[in-house]
Amino acid sequence: MSALAFLSPSGCEPELLASPLVRALEGVDPALVTDLSLDGKVELRGDVDSIAVGEGEELVRLSAGRGLLLTDDPAGAIDRVRAGGLRGYDATGLLAGFAVHGEQLMRRLTDLDLDALPAAGPFAHVAAIVLRDDGDRFRVYVPQELGHDVVHAVLDTYAGLPAWP
Amino acid sequence: MKRKEMRLAPREGERIDRSREVSFFFDGWRVTGFEGDTLGSAVAASGRQVFSRSFKYHRPRGLYCCSGHCPNCLMTVDGVPNVRVCVEPIREGAVAAAQNVVGGLNTDLMSAVDKFGGPFTPVGFYYRTMIRPRRMWPLYEKFLRNAAGLGRVDERRGSSRRYDTEHRRARVLVVGGGPAGREAALAAATEGPDVVLVDESLALAGTQLDGVEVLTPARALGIWEGNLVPVEFGTTMLRFRAERIVVATGALEQPLVHPGNDLLGVMLPGAARKLVRDYSVKPGETAIVIGSDAEALSVVGDLEEAGVEIVRVLDLRDGRPRDLEAQGWKGRLRRVLIDGHRIDCAVLVASSGRQPAYSLLAQAGARIEYDGALGAFVPTELPAGVEAVGAVTGRGLERTDSTPAYGGHGKCFVCICEDVTTKDVKRAIAEGFDSIELAKRYTTVTMGPCQGKLCQLPSIKLYAQQVNAYEAELGTTTARPPWAPVEMGLLAGRNHEMARRTSLHFRHEEAGARMMWAGPWKRPYAYGDHPEREVQAVHESLGVIDVSTLGKLLVEGPDAAGFLERLYPNRFADMAPGRIRYGVLTSDGGRIMDDGTVARLADDLYYVTTTSTGADAVTAWFEWWNAVWGYDVDIVNVTGALAALNLAGPLAREALARLVEDPDDVSAEEFRYLDARQIDVAGVPCLALRIGFVGELGYELHFPSPAGEHIWDALVAGGARPFGLEPQRILRLEKGHIIVGQDTDSESNLLSSGMSWLPKLDKDDFVGKWAVEHFGEREEREKLVGFRMEENVVPAEGAQIVIEGYPVGRITSARRSELVGEVIGLAWVPPERADPGTRFEVRVERRMVGARVMHGAFFDPAGERMRA
Amino acid sequence: MSFLLPCPFCGPRPVDEFAYSGEVTRRPTESPTLSELTDYVYFRDNVAGAQREWWQHRLGCGEWFLAERDTRTNEVLEVFLPEPGGSR
Repeated sequence: MSALAFLSPSGCEPELLASPLVRALEGVDPALVTDLSLDGKVELRGDVDSIAVGEGEELVRLSAGRGLLLTDDPAGAIDRVRAGGLRGYDATGLLAGFAVHGEQLMRRLTDLDLDALPAAGPFAHVAAIVLRDDGDRFRVYVPQELGHDVVHAVLDTYAGLPAWP
Repeated sequence: MKRKEMRLAPREGERIDRSREVSFFFDGWRVTGFEGDTLGSAVAASGRQVFSRSFKYHRPRGLYCCSGHCPNCLMTVDGVPNVRVCVEPIREGAVAAAQNVVGGLNTDLMSAVDKFGGPFTPVGFYYRTMIRPRRMWPLYEKFLRNAAGLGRVDERRGSSRRYDTEHRRARVLVVGGGPAGREAALAAATEGPDVVLVDESLALAGTQLDGVEVLTPARALGIWEGNLVPVEFGTTMLRFRAERIVVATGALEQPLVHPGNDLLGVMLPGAARKLVRDYSVKPGETAIVIGSDAEALSVVGDLEEAGVEIVRVLDLRDGRPRDLEAQGWKGRLRRVLIDGHRIDCAVLVASSGRQPAYSLLAQAGARIEYDGALGAFVPTELPAGVEAVGAVTGRGLERTDSTPAYGGHGKCFVCICEDVTTKDVKRAIAEGFDSIELAKRYTTVTMGPCQGKLCQLPSIKLYAQQVNAYEAELGTTTARPPWAPVEMGLLAGRNHEMARRTSLHFRHEEAGARMMWAGPWKRPYAYGDHPEREVQAVHESLGVIDVSTLGKLLVEGPDAAGFLERLYPNRFADMAPGRIRYGVLTSDGGRIMDDGTVARLADDLYYVTTTSTGADAVTAWFEWWNAVWGYDVDIVNVTGALAALNLAGPLAREALARLVEDPDDVSAEEFRYLDARQIDVAGVPCLALRIGFVGELGYELHFPSPAGEHIWDALVAGGARPFGLEPQRILRLEKGHIIVGQDTDSESNLLSSGMSWLPKLDKDDFVGKWAVEHFGEREEREKLVGFRMEENVVPAEGAQIVIEGYPVGRITSARRSELVGEVIGLAWVPPERADPGTRFEVRVERRMVGARVMHGAFFDPAGERMRA
Repeated sequence: MSFLLPCPFCGPRPVDEFAYSGEVTRRPTESPTLSELTDYVYFRDNVAGAQREWWQHRLGCGEWFLAERDTRTNEVLEVFLPEPGGSR
């Protein structure tokens, strides 16, 4: 067993796990907020530019020595990056993640430049990592323990938009 | 007096839609206007003149600027105080209520102040007259609090409006939509995208400019560092960051300061023009026009077109009259005296010229200088990234004639917001307030709702005249944001107060926990009203507490041991993998910062826990020191990644054994006190730490936070009773365990806190080593000790310890322990009182109660139970 | 305060995303006298002008860096990464 096995939710049966956003999203149309919390994430330390990004993986470079790898197989990815001389830590449980829609919604929750994503910065006053997908879909990752309230802020902000989607 | 409809026949260019009537309530009366009206214009059209009562003298006041600048039309609309109804769009069913009146607008009982109060309420009267006798202060205070401020917040309605904040970016942000602003915006649009123009008036509604986003009515409230411009846009605050800001705020018409200049019917040219052109409202039947520039005098054309009889036009450029006084009856203008000639009229349209509206530029860092040729203050030396165009630069303006120097008898207002007269200013100067900044604070000129827009220039001119100085020497008072009054709700935005919640939060709520704030976290205080029963469960059988809030850090790398050795007073290099030590972090000043456990998981991997509120600070502290030292280690804050549960009580081992594959893994021999082991619990990989903060056999299980509820359910099903923070505080106190930040403060060090065994002074270096060495050379001023009360009363945390009448120490924690059978606690006492058995007294509920110093744990001092 | 601070990794960001950790000080290398220790722990130059100071991009990438800032104008003259083992 790896010395850090206790960090990895992938080490136990999926039915034992619950997303931190379950309560906040009860009765909410998943088209408005899609829960991505239990998707695999790996926190990278070291020369992040040197890692090989696999099929279906996404690398968010945070600084010269820090990055976040979004991957379906965190355990495999960790083995891979460690073999490459970097350090990787399972961050699946660390961050709550969700997808939302609309530039105006985003502008009401972050002052990050929406044309310069991905980036790390404040979202609803919380340290976040924000990515932009095609069109006006955005993905947001925040500390797990703040996820519930951040989603409440998102829903509240949706409700205040002139055109509620 | 009979009211007369003042609405004119339909005119070219009017902004109202006569096909759509809109009704609302004004001071209790139903008023009907048209779509496109403001509340103010509709009221004016109905022939009503009184909109408010003045701040101090309760004089009736009416539309004066019609631009949202002056205080005259402030009303409470639908529960929102201080709405400028002259620019508030009309809406069906709105209720506009008068402020600052007792009774109604036309019958304000407080208006007696105007007749009789004058001699008794000079400027600054409350500084002098309301001091003695002292016992009267409560009454004075009540009176002053009542009189101060305008409008009342309706606390029940306070949250009925929604306010949002939106972050925006612009390459070029143009403030002001006059000709110069529009031209600048169009020019900027030819150079690229992201050009935004904001204008505070309703006049630009529907305007299309090619390549420019036009926002109106939208008011720029200030310019902050980094070209941050908050813009009030309805109930949304737009926080603009602009690469370039073009200020085109134009110039503000300045009042003419003469006796009677606040009477109903006296107004600025811009107000008269707006009433006629935009709303087709006739300002009155007869008018006198006085101005010092072509702009002001051109209002004559508008008035004539509206059928107003112009009885006199006075061009101040041809020379100013010696005497000029407006006279009225019951606050309404009746006639104007010009050098002895009485001229009857209903309206006096007067201005002394225009002053550049430089406030935003001044906030941005521009210099404001007096331009002698213009007789006004102009902005110079603009900061990088900020430009000015149009009248705000002073270009195109004519010389002002704003010095208040007209003879006459009535009250002559320099400042209509605060009811300050020329006499008040002269008195202040006579009393020695001869600096403009001091005089501002003493007289409160420029401190009212208009924030100097209409009174800055005249008051400085009056000052210059009185103290015989040049305006350029006096300068202006500092321009501060906001540029215009703004609702507090808009500044506050949405209330998104974030709580950190563990992954077990809802299990606690379901179990009936009373949740409390613990730093940034929400945690259970207790499950029900009997914390002592939860304590009992831990002592007698089994309890479980959610400690996911503990900070959790990984320190990994070849230098991990060396790094921690240098950061902590403790020694960690000699620990075997799988072992745990208690660690305390100190600063180089020797102060205790945080504490927790340090487990070695592998040669180059340590797992560090911190206090619940310390995770972020400790992470930053670690990372900072490593930025300085440059060790080959990585520091990863995994606090949120892991849930943590402390399973504690004599039955802990049996309960855990039922949830693991091989019960031998948790046997007393295999899993010793202060061991750290990875085990699967209920199918989840856990790091189990055998530590004893609460004094009983216990396992702290750290595991992936998404599995929190699963493990919790398994432990509760296995017989563990949930316990909250309050029982934990009792339990740890029974053991004499301190809580950093509760029992220690920013002055506490390792020696005074009774941990002189902890620092390893034989190490070459550690953060705080030198301080500990120096502390060792002198006697501590106080020491942290345990105590037991002689009576069954619980002193407050922070209660004073008194010896021979002198306060010598304080209580940091105290609780009743059923197990010990006494009230026990921790306290700071002088060293000479720190020996076991020493008696001291504590103030509890206004009397002194005895207590005795006690060292070590109150319960199981040898720690046999937690080591079992 | 709303000035922009250029993070070496994330670019210019509002200053409230950062944690400020004071001016750069020099930690004694040898065991200091009480007075030297007190100077180091408690005394700061507090200059009106260009000052070298510690910042952490708390709400962003999380990295520590040094900035040269004019304390009178908040103009940030330069940002750079610390050199390991260098000044404290």
